[in-house]
Amino acid sequence: MWKFLIPMAAFVGLVVLFAVGLNPDRDVHALPSPLIGKPAPQFTLTDVLDPNRTVSNRSLRGQIYVFNVWATWCAGCRAEHDTLLTIAAQKVVPIFGLDWNDERPKATQWLQQLGNPYAAVAFDAEGRTAIDWGVYGAPETFLVDGDGRVLFKHIAPMTLDVWQQEFLPRIAAARRGGA
Amino acid sequence: MTRGRGHGRWRPLRSLRAIAALLAAIALWSLGSGAAAALDAYGQIEDPALQARFEHITKELRCLVCQNESIADSNAALAGDLRREVREMLMAGKSDAAIFDFMTARYGEFVRYNPPLESKTLLIWGAPFILLLIGGAVVYRVVRVRSAMPLDDEPAAGPT
Repeated sequence: MWKFLIPMAAFVGLVVLFAVGLNPDRDVHALPSPLIGKPAPQFTLTDVLDPNRTVSNRSLRGQIYVFNVWATWCAGCRAEHDTLLTIAAQKVVPIFGLDWNDERPKATQWLQQLGNPYAAVAFDAEGRTAIDWGVYGAPETFLVDGDGRVLFKHIAPMTLDVWQQEFLPRIAAARRGGA
Repeated sequence: MTRGRGHGRWRPLRSLRAIAALLAAIALWSLGSGAAAALDAYGQIEDPALQARFEHITKELRCLVCQNESIADSNAALAGDLRREVREMLMAGKSDAAIFDFMTARYGEFVRYNPPLESKTLLIWGAPFILLLIGGAVVYRVVRVRSAMPLDDEPAAGPT
């Protein structure tokens, strides 16, 4: 009996291991964020388009928003830009941007040429706000609820599938809970 | 089975010497490469005790961009930013524990190469011992079964 069961159990275990481990949809570098369910880190930075204006999330209480970390050196950010424009046009929630370890003229040119999906973009030249948010690559996109808590984090370029399957249901749930 | 006596004869001593030489070469190489840390614009911290703590902490923190390098070794931009954070917190008099807490609050336990032993990490720390136990049990069983069997070249018991 054991002669049959032990190899069988080992085989089933390997099948499960490979099914999970070799799944092409799984990003092996994506890490769970310890920030989920916690208060979003606060920041006050200058506006990337105007150094005399500040952008802060302190005044966003009661507001559900998307927080998108990007940079002009990041190819994935170029890839997701049209998706962000589409999402912004739906006017569901505002998208705030964080321009990470970047140069102001390049970012300005990027927004002028490709279009600007953001309600405002904070300029994080030293990467300190990005560290507070646990950012380790761009693009990363967070969802923050009206209580200022991080609901979700997406690592990798945004797609409309991710928007519809991961963001929209959470936004709807947060609205029901917050109302 | 008998081994052939020609050119292909296996020489255990010579092979052992070759393996020992190889191991020594690897050990020397890894000692030498330990000195190659990432470059910073800041240079050393003046206080040697702080510098030693800085080196220890940055070796213990994983660079999440490369994920197989510490932030002491990585030249990724994020690793540089994190080294700056560690340096500033050390200068501000923060303890090692406070600096590790700062990093794990933002990046999770994965950022630590040497995660503390707690309920979540029990499996990581216990896995080598569990595997050792399983391996030991298998070896014990195999040896016990085999030692009960008669040897091949021994005459079978009883008159032939």
